[in-house]
Amino acid sequence: MTKVLVLHPERCTGCLRCELACSYMQTGTYHPAKSVIKVSPFEGHTSYAPYTCTQCAEGWCMTACPVGAITINVAGAKDVIDDRCVGCKLCTIACPYGTVFYDTDTRKAYKCNLCGGDPACAHACPTAAITYEERATEDWLGDFARERTAHALALEAA
Amino acid sequence: MPRRHLIVGGGTAAVNAIRTIREEETEKSEITLVTAERPYSRMVLPYYLDRSIAEGHVFTATAPGLAQWDVKAHVGRRASRLDVKANVCTLDDGTTIEYDDCLVATGSSAVRAPVPGADGRNVHSFWTLDEARGLIASLSPGAQVVMVGAGFISFTILNSILSHGVALTVVELAPHILPRMIDATAAGLVEKWLTDHGVTIRTDARLTAIEDAKGKKRLRFARGADLTADVVIMATGIKANVEWLQGSGITVKQGIVVDDHLRSSVPNVYAAGDVAEGRDLISGNGAVHAIETTAQEHGRVVGANMAGRDVRYRGSLIINIVEVCHLDVASFGAWDDTKAAAITGLRPERPAYRKLLWSGDRLTGAIILGPSSDIWTTNDVGMLKGLVQSGVSLAPFRAHLERNPFDIKPAYVAAKTTAVLLPETVLGRPSKAPGETPVAV
Repeated sequence: MTKVLVLHPERCTGCLRCELACSYMQTGTYHPAKSVIKVSPFEGHTSYAPYTCTQCAEGWCMTACPVGAITINVAGAKDVIDDRCVGCKLCTIACPYGTVFYDTDTRKAYKCNLCGGDPACAHACPTAAITYEERATEDWLGDFARERTAHALALEAA
Repeated sequence: MPRRHLIVGGGTAAVNAIRTIREEETEKSEITLVTAERPYSRMVLPYYLDRSIAEGHVFTATAPGLAQWDVKAHVGRRASRLDVKANVCTLDDGTTIEYDDCLVATGSSAVRAPVPGADGRNVHSFWTLDEARGLIASLSPGAQVVMVGAGFISFTILNSILSHGVALTVVELAPHILPRMIDATAAGLVEKWLTDHGVTIRTDARLTAIEDAKGKKRLRFARGADLTADVVIMATGIKANVEWLQGSGITVKQGIVVDDHLRSSVPNVYAAGDVAEGRDLISGNGAVHAIETTAQEHGRVVGANMAGRDVRYRGSLIINIVEVCHLDVASFGAWDDTKAAAITGLRPERPAYRKLLWSGDRLTGAIILGPSSDIWTTNDVGMLKGLVQSGVSLAPFRAHLERNPFDIKPAYVAAKTTAVLLPETVLGRPSKAPGETPVAV
C-alpha cells in the first residue's frame, strides 16, 4: 500500500511551518503563498487545519492535462512534469479539491508530489498534525470543520 | 476474429478513446484511425502561438506512439460517408473500412462572420494547427491586429497575440465581452483591466464588411467608425463537423445525439467531444460542450465501452478558465442561469468578483475573477468546481456565503465535499498515468 499524508486537524496550532517547508521544497524559496499545503483558520482564528492534495483515485488533474504532463511518481503522487507543462491551467480547474496551483513566475502548474516520498511538511510539523502513513486516503477535515464552523455560524445567525 | 474498432477523427476524444481501449480490453482488438490531421492538442496551440513551446510539443500521438498502440492510421484522410447498415466507412480517396463499432470524433471547425471579405487575404481563423501556423507567420511587432469576436477562443489567444508586440483591438457583436462565459459585471471588470493594459475593446459592434485598402484591411461596421488593420483574426464561433453524416440515418441536432453510454441513434456508432450532444451534468439536458475536459471524458468512456465494459457517463460540466494580462477569469456549470438565485461579491479595487448560483442549497454554477497573484494563493478555483460537480448541500452555510461569497473554504470543507468526491471516478477505477498504457498482445 502506498503512503498518504494524514492530516490531524485537532493537533494543528496554525504555526505555518508546513507552508514554509513546502514552499522551500516546491519552489526553492520560503514563500508560504506558494505552498501547496495550506493552513486555514476555523472558528474565528481559534483553530486551524492544514489542507492539501489527497492523491485521489481519479486524478482529475492528470486526466485533464492535454499534453500528458501529469504523471504518477514513485511515491504514488500525481506529479507535474515541468518540461511538458505548458501552463494552460486546465488541471487547476479540473481538480475539484482546489489542490492544483499555478506559479505566476514559472508559468507552470504545480501541486503536492509528496516530495517524491519524503514529504517536508510532515517533517516540519512540530505537533504531528501531518503524518505520512500507509493508509487509504480520506476526508481528514470534514468532521472537524463541521463541528468548528457550527459554533461560528450560530454566532453569526444570532 | 478480433473486434474491429474504427476511430474517425484524431483530436482529444479520439486519442483518449484509443488509449482507453488498450487499457481496458481483455482480448486485443484491431483499431483503425482515420484523421485529416496528425493528432495534436488544440488546448496548447496558444502556447505555440506565443512561442513558449515548439510546434512538436502540440502532438498527442506521434507515428511511433500509434505504432506502439498498434493502431492502423490513415493520416491525412477524411471520412466522407458512413453506411451504418453495412458497417462500412468510405474515405475521401475511395478506401472502404469495415468495422464492428465506430467512434465519430470529427470535432469542430471555425466559422467566420458572414460578411464580404471574410475569406480575404490576411484574415485568419485560429482553431486548427494549420490556422495557427498561418497566424504566427502574419504577426510582426508593431502590426495593427483586429480580433473579431470576444469569446472564449479569442481570449485564450489574447496574451499570445500581445506577446508579438502588436497593437490589438477586439470587437464584439454582443453588449459585453465573453458573453458565453461570464456575466456583464465580470465582463465590465475585464474590459477595464484590458483597456488599462493597452488593449482597445469595442462592444455592440456589428461588422458588415472587410475591404482591402492600400495594402491594409479596412473593417466596416453597422454603426461607428471604420477600423484599419494589418491582420484580422476571426474568432466568431465554431460548428460541429457533422455534414459528412448527412443521409447516414444518425440523429443530429446541435451535434450527434448520444445516450448515457455515448452511443448515437445507431447503437454501434459512438460520438465524443465537440461533435457530440451529450448529457449536461447540471441540467441533465443534451448539450454540445466543445471543451477539452468533455472530449477527454467522452473519449475515455467510449473507449471503455468499445472494449466491452458497461460504463455509464454522468454528464459533462462546463468549465472555462482564461487569463488575460495576469487577470484570471473562470466560470463553471450553469453560471448563466437567469432563473437561479445568485449571490455576488464585488471588490472593484482589486478587482475581485464572485458569483454563486443556487438550486436550493446546492451550487449549480459559479464565476470567479481576480488578478493571478490573488487567485493562485487560494484553493477557491478548484473548490468552486468541486462544489458544483459534487452538488453537496451547503444548507448551513448559505447565509454565511451570502454575507461573504469570498469565504468558500470553510463551507467546502465542513460540507464534507472531499468525502463525497473521493469515491468518484469516470471509469469506475483509478486512472492510469499517461504513457503507462499496456498494449495487449
